[in-house]
Amino acid sequence: MRTSLRSAAAALAVAAALFTPAVAAEVKIGVLVPTTGSEATYGQDMANAVQIAMDEINAAKGGDTYSLVIGDDGCDPQQAVNAATKLASSGIAAVVGGYCSGATIPTLKIFGDAKLPMVITAANSTKLIPANPGNAFLINSTGNDQVAKALEVFKAKGVKALAIVNEGDAYSQDLATLAQKGFTGAGGNVPSFETVNKGEQDFSSVVTKIKASGADAVFWTAYYADGGPFIKQLREGGYTGLIIVGDGSTSTELFKLAGADAAEGVLALSSPTPDFLPNAKAFADTYKAKYGNAPGPYAALTYDGTKLLAAAIKTAGGTDSAKVMDALIKSDFKDGLAGEITFRDDHTLARSNFIVLEGKGGTWALAKY
Amino acid sequence: MTLTAILAQQLVNGLVLGSFYALVALGYTMVFGVVKLLNFAHGDLYMVGAFGGFIALSLVSGFAGVGWLGVALAILLSMIAVGFLGVVIERIAYAPMLKAPRLSILITALAVSLVLQNGVLTLSNGQVMAFSPKLGFAGIDVFGLFINYKQIALAGTAAVLMLGLELFISRTQYGRAMRAVSVDKDMSELMGIDVNRVIALTFFVGSALAAAAGTMAGAYYGSIWYFMGFLIGLKAFTAAVIGGIGSIPGAMLGGLTLGLLESFGTQIPGIGSEWKDVFSFSVLIVVLVLKPTGLLGKSEQERM
Repeated sequence: MRTSLRSAAAALAVAAALFTPAVAAEVKIGVLVPTTGSEATYGQDMANAVQIAMDEINAAKGGDTYSLVIGDDGCDPQQAVNAATKLASSGIAAVVGGYCSGATIPTLKIFGDAKLPMVITAANSTKLIPANPGNAFLINSTGNDQVAKALEVFKAKGVKALAIVNEGDAYSQDLATLAQKGFTGAGGNVPSFETVNKGEQDFSSVVTKIKASGADAVFWTAYYADGGPFIKQLREGGYTGLIIVGDGSTSTELFKLAGADAAEGVLALSSPTPDFLPNAKAFADTYKAKYGNAPGPYAALTYDGTKLLAAAIKTAGGTDSAKVMDALIKSDFKDGLAGEITFRDDHTLARSNFIVLEGKGGTWALAKY
Repeated sequence: MTLTAILAQQLVNGLVLGSFYALVALGYTMVFGVVKLLNFAHGDLYMVGAFGGFIALSLVSGFAGVGWLGVALAILLSMIAVGFLGVVIERIAYAPMLKAPRLSILITALAVSLVLQNGVLTLSNGQVMAFSPKLGFAGIDVFGLFINYKQIALAGTAAVLMLGLELFISRTQYGRAMRAVSVDKDMSELMGIDVNRVIALTFFVGSALAAAAGTMAGAYYGSIWYFMGFLIGLKAFTAAVIGGIGSIPGAMLGGLTLGLLESFGTQIPGIGSEWKDVFSFSVLIVVLVLKPTGLLGKSEQERM
């Protein structure tokens, strides 16, 4: 009795596998983002963008129906591993998301072992590239592209001596080391290279050291939660040089935490955010109508990532992971809000998508560099 | 900047940071002195204090504004509220465990820490909140050394609170009772001291000091979030151990020492900000090797 039941079930499973591509199916997508902790605003924002993309896909008649399962990585490597393991066993077909690089890296192997295609829409440490078992695709330009842009800005501003401050996590340290290498390689001087503890609020001794080092620009490579207080303390401590922040600090929360006065004139390297994308107007309106606030910096990319994944699943004719990954690597996706998506051989975006923003009157404005 | 100016500035930075460590360390040391408990929830009381101050500031801002007066009132209100919270925690979580093995009460303290952290996480949605009183950027310039009024007020308030505590412990009847209980609880009970009340009072004062530090940190650094108590709890505990746990002047000395070690450690070439914790914790190890009871701790004779 037992055996026959089991074989019947197996036969059913085979039949299901054979026939799935033909009919419209239900597709569950895992969303790996921090919805709690210091980076929660970014993570929730990304999950909302996935939901909007899915609403649009589901509204089209006859197609697959998409739903999402959120895995909260809390921007913490350990919590991320738990969240990823849970996601991998919850019947999902693929994963989008990935905000904190440090928390995303350890999940790559888990999703790789589970043969789940993954579209990483925000995390962009270069450490993701060698850690990728082959299933992950990065649609946000990586640290290399960001540093290239940063060097352009330093050159335009005539920066001779640069102070670099990071928080010792994968993302900010990677960016800091790359910037140090790039800047000294271009003949510049890095008199002060600092690492602070995440969540430690007192930066006074680092501020004093930077001031004493004679740096004419400070590059903060970590996130906004500590970046705000850092900028505030730099200005309170009497530092008057240029301050530039990486793409982890482009939340407008930065102005609340630093105070608009202190953050005036701060430059930020940013992924293409909805506010500054001509194609994203309709998306931003839908987002605002549904969630009551403007979409954050990674919403457009995450929306694109979800659409990209759905397009690949459509091309593959189902959720078979090998076919979906094959469709992803060959993607030539032109419907993106943030421009077209094609991949290099190492699964990174084939072009640099960084823009430069400037703090003006308590918010960001596009700056030309 | 000249080298003297840099060192003087780092001295100021270290003293400000050290005042925070000292205020939080006092709570650790008082509770340890009286009930021999390492209250791991103490850093989280600092965090709750910061949120309490944040709420209090928005309550009093209507009539007191968000300037110096508003912040002073917020500190006071937060101290009272968190002081009572400390007593409630002691009554619910620790009092039933006082006769249990030491390890059980230690685990209870960890549990209380998690409850506080996750409670605030839920209430605040995990958001970093901007604490923005209007205290201005003004300050005084002493030979090229810039000290702003906030730093002066902060170190001053910490000093007043610590001096007040020292007088309370050494001059008042309750202080004497506290010292008696810390020496011998059973004997104090026989002498007619209400030990439970003394323990409650200890928790009240310790928690209130943590709340004062939390509110001041929120007002000074400008941001608060649910995890802000973790690192400072760890550092303040370290400060209490350097100074000699159980000793009140020791906690103050330990806090200031740790603050100064960190700020000077950042400036020393070859150590820098990346290694400053390694540096200060190495000093801690050296202190403990040379003087296992901490700087001002007294060695205790275990009587059989």
